[in-house]
Amino acid sequence: MDALQTPLVGTNKGTPDKEWKFSEILADPQIRRRWEKVRKYFFLRESTYDMTNRCNIRCEGCYYYEGEKQFARGNMDPAAWHELMDAEKKRGITYVVLAGAEPSMVPELCEVCFRQMPLGAIATNGLKFIPAAVNYKIHISVWGNDDTSLKIRKADNMLARQVENYRHDPRAVFVYTFTRNNIAQAREVAQILAAQGCRMTFNMFSAPVGYDGSLRHSPASLGHTRQTMLDLLSQYPENMLFSAYNAVAHTHRRGLHELYGCSYPRMNPSTDIGLGRSFRQYRADLTWDRQVACCVPDTDCADCRHYAAGSAVVTARLFRHATDPDTFKAWLDYVDTYLAVWVMGYEIGKNLCKHPVAPPGHEVF
Amino acid sequence: MRMSTAPDVEKIILNVAQIMIDELKLEDVTPETFDPQIDLIDEVGIDSMDLATVALVLRDEYAIRIDEDDYPKLTSVRLISEYISDKLADRADG
Repeated sequence: MDALQTPLVGTNKGTPDKEWKFSEILADPQIRRRWEKVRKYFFLRESTYDMTNRCNIRCEGCYYYEGEKQFARGNMDPAAWHELMDAEKKRGITYVVLAGAEPSMVPELCEVCFRQMPLGAIATNGLKFIPAAVNYKIHISVWGNDDTSLKIRKADNMLARQVENYRHDPRAVFVYTFTRNNIAQAREVAQILAAQGCRMTFNMFSAPVGYDGSLRHSPASLGHTRQTMLDLLSQYPENMLFSAYNAVAHTHRRGLHELYGCSYPRMNPSTDIGLGRSFRQYRADLTWDRQVACCVPDTDCADCRHYAAGSAVVTARLFRHATDPDTFKAWLDYVDTYLAVWVMGYEIGKNLCKHPVAPPGHEVF
Repeated sequence: MRMSTAPDVEKIILNVAQIMIDELKLEDVTPETFDPQIDLIDEVGIDSMDLATVALVLRDEYAIRIDEDDYPKLTSVRLISEYISDKLADRADG
C-alpha cells in the first residue's frame, strides 16, 4: 500500500507517545540535516506590495478587486519604489512579494524592486512574460483547465500560453488553485505541466469577505481535494512542490487561523515580534493599513487556507510541532516546500513524512 | 520560599546567554560579556523563529514549556531567565 494512500481519518490524534526532548528528535541524522537546511532561512522577513491596479484579465473571485485597495491610485514613479525598497530594507524586510493586480503590467517597477531587494516572488497570471532580469520566483496562477479558465477568467488557451512563457524557467512555479468546481481537472493540468517539466504547487480557494459563490469549498470538496493532492504528489513527485502535511493543513475542515492562529497583523494585535511587528501590505499608492494587513487582504479569515498564508502561519508554529519525530518531520516537509516555492535557488528535498499527520492539538481532518 | 527552591537567576542568565550564543551563532560575545538587559529584538535582531528555536533548547534544559503567547514578553536574556526561574519555582511549589 502506498504511504500516501493511508486512510485519512483517525490515523493520528496529534498526541505523541511520550514526551520527546528536542535534542532526541534531532538525534535522527535525517531530521538534523533538514533542520539545519531550513533554519538558514529563518532570516526571511516578508512584506507584500500591490504593484498596480491594472490587470489584463478579470477573474471571478479575484481578491484584488475586493475591498478598498482596488481604488488606490497606482504610483508609477520608479524613484518612489526605489525609495520604498530602501526604507523597507532599513526596517529589516528581507523578502518581498509583488502582487496585485497584475505585476507583469509594470515590469520596470518589478525590476526596481529586484535591484534593491534580491529575494522575492511575483504573483502573476502568466500571460505576459516577466523579463529574466527580475530574478524572483514567479508564481503563475492556474484555476483549472482551459475551459474553466475561459469561463471564470475570460482568457483563451490560458495554460498553453502560460507554459509557453515559463517552460524551462527556473523562476516558475505553477500554482493550481483548487475551487469546489475544478478538483478533477487538476489531474489533467498536472499531466500537461509534468510533461513540460514544469513545477507545480497547490493553493486553496479561500473566499473573499462576503463571497458565497460556487467556488467556495464544502467539507466534501475539502476531502476530495486532499485525496487529489496526495494522488498527484505520489504520481508526479519530481514536479510537485508539496507534502502530505501541506495537504492536511490546507484541506482541514478547520481553516488555518483556527488550526494555527494566524500571525498576520489583521488577526494578530501584537506588534512586539514576528509578522505582527514587521509585516506590511502596501497598496499600489504605497500606503498601508495595519488593520487590513495580511498576505491576501479581503479574504474571509475563517475560510482562509491560502498557500501564502500557510507558508508563514504554519512555519511560525515551530515550537508546537517539536513534540515527536513524525510531527516534526511533517513540519520540516512543510517548511522545505515553502522555501522551494518561494526562494530562488532553494531545492526541495525528498519528503521525510509521507503519511498525513494531524496538526498539533487536532485530528487529521 | 520560592527563591530557596528555584535556581539562582544569575546562573540561569549565564546559561541562557550561552544557549543564545550557540543557537544563534553570535560572534564576539561570551556569556559573561552578554548584556542581559540588551533588547534581543531591537538590538540583537532576533525574531520569532530564533526565539522559538531557543525556547526548544530551553525546554530540554529546564524541562519547562515556554508558551508561544509569552514570546513577546521575552525580549532580553534577563527577562527570559526570570521567566524560567518563575516556572521552576512554580513547579517546586506545585
